Amino acid sequence: MNAIAPASHLRRSFIYRLLAASGAEFGEVNGGAVALHYGGSREAELATARRLGLADLSVLPHGGFKGKGTVEWLTAQGLAIGPDSNVAYKQAGGEWAARLAPTEIFLLDSLAGTGALLQRLNAAWQWAAAAPRPAQGYPMPRQDSHAWFMATGAFVPEMFAKICGVDLRREHFAEGAIAQTSVAKMSAIIIRADRPAKDGRVTPAYHVLADIASAEYLWTCLMDAAAEFDGKPVGLRALRDLEA
Amino acid sequence: MKIMNCPLNGPRNISEFVWGGEVKPMPDPAATSDQDWAEWLFLENNEAGIVREWWCHVPTSFWFIAERNTVTDEILKTYPAGDVFKSRVDFAAKAEKQS
Amino acid sequence: MSQLNRLPAPFGRLIDRAKPLTFEFEGRAIEGFAGDTIASALAANEQWMLSRSFKYHRPRGILTLAGQDANTLVQLPDEPSCLADRYPARHGLKVMAQNYFGSFDNDMARLVELAHRFLPVGFYYKTFNEKKSSWKFWEPVVRAMAGLGKIDPKADFHHSYYDKKYLFADVAVIGGGPAGLAAARAAADAGAEVILVEENEALGGSLGYARFDAKGERGNQVLDDLVKGVEGRGNLSVMTGAICSGYFADHWLPVIQGNRFYKLRAKSVVIATGSLEQPAVFRNNDLPGVMMASAAQRLIRLYGVRPGRKAVILAANDDAYGAALDLLDAGTEVVAIADLRATASNSPLVAAVKARGIAIHQGHGISEALYAKKSHISGAVLAPVAGEGTFGRGGTQVACDLILMSVGFSPAGQILHHAGAKFGYCHASNMFQPVETPTGVHAAGSVNNTYDLDAVLADGRRAGLAAARDAGLGVAEIPAAPAEKGNVGRTHPWPIFPHERGFDFVDFDEDLKYHDLVNGIADGYDNVELLKRYSTVGMGPSQGKHSAVAAVRIVARETGGDIARMSVTTQRPPYAPEKFGHLAGRVFDPERRTAMHHRHLELGAQMMPAGIWWRPAYYGAKSERSALINAEVRAVRENVGLIDVSTLGGLDVRGPDAAEFLNRMYTFAYVKQPVGRSRYVLMTDNAGVITDDGVACRFHDEHFYVTATTSGVDAVYRQMLFWNAQWRLDVDVANVTAAYAGVNIAGPKSRAVLQKVCSDIDLSAESFPYMGVRLGTVAGIPARLMRVGFVGELGYEIHVPAGYGEALWDALMEAGKAEGIRPFGVEAQRVLRLEKGHIIVSQDTDGLTNIWEADMAWAVAKSKPFFIGGRSTEIMGAKKQLRKLVGFTLKNDADPCPEECHLVLKGEEIVGRVTSAVRSPSLGKVLGLAYVHADDAAPGTSFEIKIDGGRRITGIVTKYPFYDPDNKRQEM
Repeated sequence: MNAIAPASHLRRSFIYRLLAASGAEFGEVNGGAVALHYGGSREAELATARRLGLADLSVLPHGGFKGKGTVEWLTAQGLAIGPDSNVAYKQAGGEWAARLAPTEIFLLDSLAGTGALLQRLNAAWQWAAAAPRPAQGYPMPRQDSHAWFMATGAFVPEMFAKICGVDLRREHFAEGAIAQTSVAKMSAIIIRADRPAKDGRVTPAYHVLADIASAEYLWTCLMDAAAEFDGKPVGLRALRDLEA
Repeated sequence: MKIMNCPLNGPRNISEFVWGGEVKPMPDPAATSDQDWAEWLFLENNEAGIVREWWCHVPTSFWFIAERNTVTDEILKTYPAGDVFKSRVDFAAKAEKQS
Repeated sequence: MSQLNRLPAPFGRLIDRAKPLTFEFEGRAIEGFAGDTIASALAANEQWMLSRSFKYHRPRGILTLAGQDANTLVQLPDEPSCLADRYPARHGLKVMAQNYFGSFDNDMARLVELAHRFLPVGFYYKTFNEKKSSWKFWEPVVRAMAGLGKIDPKADFHHSYYDKKYLFADVAVIGGGPAGLAAARAAADAGAEVILVEENEALGGSLGYARFDAKGERGNQVLDDLVKGVEGRGNLSVMTGAICSGYFADHWLPVIQGNRFYKLRAKSVVIATGSLEQPAVFRNNDLPGVMMASAAQRLIRLYGVRPGRKAVILAANDDAYGAALDLLDAGTEVVAIADLRATASNSPLVAAVKARGIAIHQGHGISEALYAKKSHISGAVLAPVAGEGTFGRGGTQVACDLILMSVGFSPAGQILHHAGAKFGYCHASNMFQPVETPTGVHAAGSVNNTYDLDAVLADGRRAGLAAARDAGLGVAEIPAAPAEKGNVGRTHPWPIFPHERGFDFVDFDEDLKYHDLVNGIADGYDNVELLKRYSTVGMGPSQGKHSAVAAVRIVARETGGDIARMSVTTQRPPYAPEKFGHLAGRVFDPERRTAMHHRHLELGAQMMPAGIWWRPAYYGAKSERSALINAEVRAVRENVGLIDVSTLGGLDVRGPDAAEFLNRMYTFAYVKQPVGRSRYVLMTDNAGVITDDGVACRFHDEHFYVTATTSGVDAVYRQMLFWNAQWRLDVDVANVTAAYAGVNIAGPKSRAVLQKVCSDIDLSAESFPYMGVRLGTVAGIPARLMRVGFVGELGYEIHVPAGYGEALWDALMEAGKAEGIRPFGVEAQRVLRLEKGHIIVSQDTDGLTNIWEADMAWAVAKSKPFFIGGRSTEIMGAKKQLRKLVGFTLKNDADPCPEECHLVLKGEEIVGRVTSAVRSPSLGKVLGLAYVHADDAAPGTSFEIKIDGGRRITGIVTKYPFYDPDNKRQEM
C-alpha cells in the first residue's frame, strides 16, 4: 500500500478532503483510498487510538441484506447469526453481522478489508428465474448509503455522552451491542466492537454508521466532541496495531 | 423527557419517536358512505382514557402500537403492529379490468 | 482598611488565605481570598450595599448569602444579573452594581420611592386596562426603568464554549446537605450507581455554617463523617457547583455546572434540597444590615467575615440562639434578642446565650429598622407583641448595625413541585410539607419537614434505600420515617408586622409591601394564583422563595380562609436561571451534501438549501445571477448540460407484491408496467391531497426503483412502512436515497457525450427509448440509467453508488468537453421544467390541492380496487372544484413577470395565486402556473393578477407544455 491520492480512485470517501487536511496518508483498500496514518510516529498514533481516536473506514467493504428470508438465506451461506435483534454477531473471518431487525442484517468486513465474504454473498444472491421465488432477502447498498467511522479508546463513552442520549458506557453496553439512535441530531447506528490485543489488553472500540451524505457534518461533530479528551483522527494502521 | 419502550430498540427518549395517530380501522372505501368516510378521515375520538396509537421510532423507521392513558400520559404498553395486524389485507377488485 | 471585617481562622472554611486576590467593585479595589464570593469579599471590606431595588431603587444588601435572593444581582463586563453571593470572586474581575441612574451611592431614581403612593398595586392593570392611550405616555418611562442588568456586545464581551452532556444513574440525589449525603451513601451501599448534585461549591449544607450544639462542634464532625462516606467510591459521583434546575418526566433532570448543561437520567430520585429561611415583615426590613440569621452564620463560618459590630436578633426559634453564639464567637456584640415567643425554651442553646448575659426580650419583636443614611441600618425599635402581627404601646430604640431574622423556614420544594409532589400545610410546624410524592421520587431532610439533625440523617438513609429499591436494587428493608422530626417551634405562624408608615416588604424582588398585597386582595384578587398575577408577588428573579409563603398567610388571613386548604403558587422549571448558552449548547444542525458537493464549490456554484441538503442554485457570481441562469438554460436547450440530482429520493421496492404495493400507494397502475420502463408516480394522502411525485423504474418483475421529491422522500418512505405494517404484503421497501448519487445529462448533445463513457448499453432511440430504464456501466461505474423528461430535452438520468458520484461527475465533465458541456443548477432546472409545464409538488401544489384542481386526472388509474386517497378523490371529483391549476401567459408581455404567491383576483375576490412564473429565455415571454377560478380555466380566458405595488395585470390561460408541446425533443 503506497501513498496515493484519494481522487485517483473511482470510489471515494465523502470526507477524504477533511482527512487530507488533517495530514492523512492514504493507501488503497477495496478500490478506494483509506487513511492509513497521519504522519506522526506509529507509537504516538497508537497511544491516541488507546485514548480517543476516530477513523474513517467508509471505503472498507460493508453491505447488507434485508427483507423476508434474509437471516435464513445468510445462515445457509454459512453465517452465524443469533436470534436477537440489535446484536452484532462476529463471523469466523472477523466480519460483523449486525442484526438491525428480525429481517435485516448489516455486514461489516474485518479491518483486513479484503471483502471476501461480501463478494461471495453478492455473487451468490441472484433473482430466481421465475415466480414464485424463494424468500432470500434483498441486497442493500450499504457500502454507499452509510459512512463508516470507528471510535476507539478509553474516552469513547465520554465523548458519545456529549452527542448521544443512549447510555454507551461499557457496563451498560456490551460487546456486540447495537444502538440505532440519534447522534448529534442525526440517525446513526453504533456497534460496540472492542479491539483486543494479543497481550490481553482490550481497547474499547465502537463502529459508527450513518447517512453518507452527512458524513462531513458528523465527522466534524465527533471531532468537536473529542477535542476535550485530546481525541484525534487515527488511521487504519493504528486500528490494526490495537490488535497486534 | 419521557421514555418510550420501543418493541425493537428498547427504552428510548421520546424525542426519538413520532406520533402516527390513533389506531382506527379504515372503513371499506368501496362500500362506506361519504359521511362515514369523512368521519373516519377527519374526526378523532380524543378520548380521555386509554387509547391505542401508532408510534414510529425515527432512527429505524419502525412502526409499532402503544397503549397510552391520555389523562395521566402514562404509556402502558407497546407492541409490534403485527400483534394486531396479523394477516394480509386485500381490496375487492372493481368490475372493470385493471390496466 | 482592607478586609477589616475578616475573622481569623478557623472561621472561613471555604477561603484560602494563602491565595489573596483583588477585584474591582464600582471602580474601587476590593481585596479578598480564593474561595470568596463577590458578596463575601465585599462584606469583608465593609461594602454592604450591593444593589438598588427594582421599583423604588432602595439600597439592598446581603439577605441569604446563599444565591437565593435578588438583592445580590451585579453586573459583570460580559454578563448581567450575576448573583454576587454565588459567583466566585476572581482576580482582576470588574464588578458593577446595576439598576441605578447617576451614581450607585446617590441614585437619582431612588426618588421614585417618594411617589410610592401613586404606584399602587396592579399599576399596569389599573392604568392601561382602563385607559389604553395612557401607554403612550408611560411607555418611555417604563422602558427606561425596566430591567436590571445590561448586555453590551461592544463592551468586554466574549463568546464562550457551551455544551451539553448526558448522564446516567440509578439514583440521583439532589442536594448535598446532611440528608442528601446520608441518602447518597445509603443508596451506594445498596449497590446503586449514584450521582449527588450539590449547587454550592462545598458539600454539607447547614452542617457547614449552622450551630447544632452550644459548643458549635457537632456540625463539622457530622460533615466530615458524611463527606468521607461519599468520597472515593466507584459507584458514587459527586457534582458540586451544579444546579439541578428542574424535574421532567421519567426522572430527567437538567443540571447546570459551569458552561455545561447536563441531562441526567436516573431510575429514581432523592430530593434533599433543604429549606429556605424566611424573612420577617417589618418596616425597613429590606435595608442593608438586615439579613437572615443563616446568612450571618454563612458569613462567619464559610467566609470568615464578621457580619456587623452590634447586632439585634429577631427570634422565633432556638436557631436564633445558635446564631447569637456564633456572633459572639465572631466578636459581634449582641445588643438584644427580641423573641416573638411569650416564653423561653429550655434548649441548651438558649441557656448558653443566657449564660453570656445577653438581654433577651421575651414576647417582643422589631417594629422598625432605623437608619441615619439609608445605605445601612443604624438601629432597631423593639416593641412588645400585642397580638397576631401587632405591637403594644411603647418601644425601645437600640443602636445596632445588624439585624438578624430567625423566624422560620419554608421547604425548598421547587423540584418536588416540578416532579408532581403534593404539598399540604402542617399546623404543628406552621409549614407546608410534601404529603405525596410520585413513584420513584423521595423527599428527605428539611424539604420533608424534618429538622432535627439525627432525624435528618435517618430520613436521608430511608430515602436513599427506598430510591435504590425503586432503581431495581435488592434492598431488604426500608426503615420508617423518623417519628420525631424536630419541626415544631421552628417557624412562626405570623412573622408579619405591618407598619402604618409602610416599607414593610413582603417581596424584595418586586418591592411589594404588606398593604400592596392587602389592597390586591381587596381589589378582588383573593386567590394566591390571581394575586400573584395582579401584584407580581413571587414573579421576580427569586421566584417567591421568600415571599410565597408570606403571601399565602396574608391571603388566608384577609379572606378568613384556612391556610391548610391553600397552597403556594405553582412552581415551574427552571428552579434557577438558565443562560441561552446553556440551552443552545453546541448547535447540531445536520446537513447533507452530495458526492459532488465540492466539485460544485470548485466551479463557483452558489449553493442553496433544499430541505437539509445543499444544492447548486447556479454557477458563477451572484451579480450575474439571471444571465448565468439563462445561459445554463440555453446550454441545455441547445447543447448539453449536467445537473446533480443526487438529492432526489430513491426507494427500492422489491418482492412478489411490489407492483400491487405501488398500485395502492400511488394513483397510477403498475402491475402491467413492462420491465425496462418507467412510469409516473403521483401520491395522494387519505384526504386526496397531492403529497409527492416521481417515477417508478421497473428493473425486474419484482423490483421497482421509485424516485421521490428531495424533501418528500422521508415522509413517503415512512408512509409506505406505515401502510404495509397493516397490509402485510410480501414486499420490502428500502430508502436508498443517499446510497445513490445521480446526475441528469440533458440536451440535444447528451447522447453523444454519454456514448463516449458508456459502452455496454445501446443508447439509440430505438433500443433505449424515452421512459426506458437500463442497468449498465458509465465510465466503469455500475449505474442505473433512466430516460426522463423533466427538462424537456433528450436526457439521461444516471444513478450510481454514492461513493462513485464524484468520479462520475468528473468523467462526464471530461467526456463533454468537446461538446461544451455546462453544469446547471436548480434555478435553471426550474425554468426548464416550467417551460415544459411540469409541476413541482409543494410549490405548484399546496396542502389542499387534489388531482382535479391540478388537472392530473390522467395520472389516476380508475379501475383499480384501491389507492390511498382514492375514495376522497372520488368524492371530490363529484363536486364542483373551486379552483384549477392552469398555465398562463400575459396579455401584455411588457408587463412585469409576476412572482410566486401573487394573488389571482376575480373582481375583488381572491380566487387563487401564481405558483410559478418566469420570463422564459427559450420562448422569450412570460409564462407560469397559477390557480384560477374553476370557471376561468379554459384556454384563452383572461384573469387578473395583483402584482407588487397593488397593480393588476391580465393573464391569459394558456395550454401547456409551453415549450415543445409535442414532446419531440425529449423523445429524440
